[in-house]
Amino acid sequence: MSADEAPGLYVESTIIMTTVRVVAPFVLTFALFIMFHGADSPGGGFQGGVITGSVVMMLAFAFGIDSTRQWLDVRIVAALASGGVLVFAGIGLGAIALGGQFLQYNVYKPYYYEASKYGIELVELGIGGIVASVAIGLFFLLAAGFGYVTGEGER
Amino acid sequence: MTPVEWAIVALAALGAFFSGVAAIGIIRLPDVYTRAHAASKSDTLGAVLTIAAAALALETGLSTAKAVFLLVFMFLTNPTAAHAVARAAKDQGIEPWTTENDQ
Repeated sequence: MSADEAPGLYVESTIIMTTVRVVAPFVLTFALFIMFHGADSPGGGFQGGVITGSVVMMLAFAFGIDSTRQWLDVRIVAALASGGVLVFAGIGLGAIALGGQFLQYNVYKPYYYEASKYGIELVELGIGGIVASVAIGLFFLLAAGFGYVTGEGER
Repeated sequence: MTPVEWAIVALAALGAFFSGVAAIGIIRLPDVYTRAHAASKSDTLGAVLTIAAAALALETGLSTAKAVFLLVFMFLTNPTAAHAVARAAKDQGIEPWTTENDQ
């Protein structure tokens, strides 16, 4: 590495950027597929959420962490996490409010005919949102620590 | 055996062979660049041939389509990952191994 190049400065590679650009939509679709199929086949909200988080990490590897931070505001990540918790708790406590047990989906039946199926799907989506945003947030924190340390290394 | 069965056996055997070559390469080669070379080329070919055998062996339909998708993405992402590893190693200033290092 030449001396005038700042340590940790990442120059994007065309090959990686192109591959990520091609692959990312498919991976996101696959993550949703895993989330929605969690009820009746292998998969579920946790696995789908981790795949969603890995898409953001892939984008950060290809395009640099700073531009990913600009593109994906931390407030959006926090909103996704709390929104997931709200969806999960809302569906679970709503069943209690309607006179059932926690997460007893069939009490929603009078309002929607396939309540059990879509109740499970919504809870999986909520879990997926929580897991994805926590994975992304942890990644952002780790990346910030790395930048901080290399910035300090100048002395 | 039918020709399709012969093709499945041949593809699976070739895939196992190339995966073995990749494993030997990762253990025996001296530095990160040559190991990335072994991991990207032979391992991709081994995985792709094995998945192709699986795609032939599965009954035609959704499973075959999934296997073909897996094959295509394996072919795209595996060399890219090796490229990223080699690039990161170059960024970190790791010198490539040459025969001079051995003397």
